[in-house]
Amino acid sequence: MISIRATKRFTEQAGGLSVFEDLALDIPEGEFVCIVGRSGCGKSTLLRIIGGLETATAGGVTFGWSGGRTAQIGFVFQEPGLFPWRTVWDNVKLGLEIRGESGPALARRVNDMLDIVRLRGFEKYYPYQLSGGMAQRVAIARAFVIEPDLLLMDEPFAALDTHTRADMHVELLRVWQAFKKTVVFVTHNVDEAVFLADRVVVLAGRPASVRADLAIDLPRPRRRFGADEIAHQEEIVKWLSAGSEPQTSEA
Amino acid sequence: MRAAAVRGLRVFALNVVVLAAAWVVWDFTARAAHSSFFPSPVSVAQAFREILAAGDVQGHQLWAHIGASLVRVFVGFAAAAVTGVALGMVLGLKRGVYDSTKSILEPMRFIPPIAWIPLAIVLLRGFSRYAFIIWIGAFFPILVGTMAGIQRVSPLLVEVSKAFGARRPFIVFKVVTPGALPEIVAGMRIGLGVGWMCIVAAEMIGGEELGLGRLMMNYADLLRVDMVIVGMITIGIIGYATNELLLLLEQRLFAWRRAVKV
Repeated sequence: MISIRATKRFTEQAGGLSVFEDLALDIPEGEFVCIVGRSGCGKSTLLRIIGGLETATAGGVTFGWSGGRTAQIGFVFQEPGLFPWRTVWDNVKLGLEIRGESGPALARRVNDMLDIVRLRGFEKYYPYQLSGGMAQRVAIARAFVIEPDLLLMDEPFAALDTHTRADMHVELLRVWQAFKKTVVFVTHNVDEAVFLADRVVVLAGRPASVRADLAIDLPRPRRRFGADEIAHQEEIVKWLSAGSEPQTSEA
Repeated sequence: MRAAAVRGLRVFALNVVVLAAAWVVWDFTARAAHSSFFPSPVSVAQAFREILAAGDVQGHQLWAHIGASLVRVFVGFAAAAVTGVALGMVLGLKRGVYDSTKSILEPMRFIPPIAWIPLAIVLLRGFSRYAFIIWIGAFFPILVGTMAGIQRVSPLLVEVSKAFGARRPFIVFKVVTPGALPEIVAGMRIGLGVGWMCIVAAEMIGGEELGLGRLMMNYADLLRVDMVIVGMITIGIIGYATNELLLLLEQRLFAWRRAVKV
């Protein structure tokens, strides 16, 4: 279980904006949670606080496991963030290398992971030789190979075209079902959230608060345009717009 | 692969044509000038043959001059590479140190190496004098290249490493350094070029017998302009060759940057 009780305000120099006040969220182990909100609502900040890349102004995050935080967390960003001078293989091993692992055990894990994301045969490729979808698969492999207890994903497929994105959803669920780890997935895309998540948390307002906490109790594989799926999507959209003061219009 | 070979041949042929044209223009100008102080390409070629066969007036071989100059440049350059990269890393990573020292660093950068020669004569002796002038010339391009390279490293890569729990040594040596390396090496290539250009000026003041600058100075005193031009061409060719070598090294080292090739 991961418990978040956090307040985040930017410093006076940065505008003194209050991102969220005493935001409370509990995430049970093994759950796939999507955090949905408009851009600028603070969902990425929340994710970065969970991942330890930013610190909360007050409160924080407690993890249901012992030991360090970062060693147990995999992070996937919107950009693949691959090291351009490392091959696919060397990129995937990054997290293991940072942990000080080496030798045949490391090689086996990297190879197994490349099998899972179907990138065998591309070990020696450099990032510039990969398509956007392949690069993001490398980033996912890099996050999963350390066998994290928690995987944080910050709009990882936002830069991909619709078809690649749909393939990546299927791919991600396949990998997730193989490992059954907790996933916190930030997106502004409602159908993406319904396709992927066990549970959708809607963030809105300023300071942001949890507007809705919805269980998506549909069997997988889900459909893109199934009636049940669309019903869930409509509910999320309703919560996203509910009580939203006339803000600047956004696409 | 075939297309590349054809293109290489074309480039080579074009360069031969341009060289021949330059020769013709030079020859024509020399004939028109009709002065013993403006030698024709043929007489320079003869001077080349002369120094290769018999050495210079003091009996030194051309390769001995080249060797002496090269050693000085490489020592000065090596010192500049070590100090330039080290200081560039510190200044690039610690913005505050740069901000508080830029009032001395930035003006120093614009003082030409030749302007240091009087001070070098007063303060230094022999080999260290040359090495110092080369160092001054090569240091700043390397320093600036290193700092620029560090600024160019994607913050996302640092973030990714931090998310995996990387500590500062990993970030400095495994993220920032390789990320900045293309600029560092480019700075070294420029620095080596500047250092090589400084050697002539530096050797003109020295009391030694060897060195390409010395060679040219001796022949200038004898009004042997053809031999001076031999020295000039030698310096040019060696500079060109080392630059090409480093370019080749860059291409090998940074194959991962092939994407930028047009």
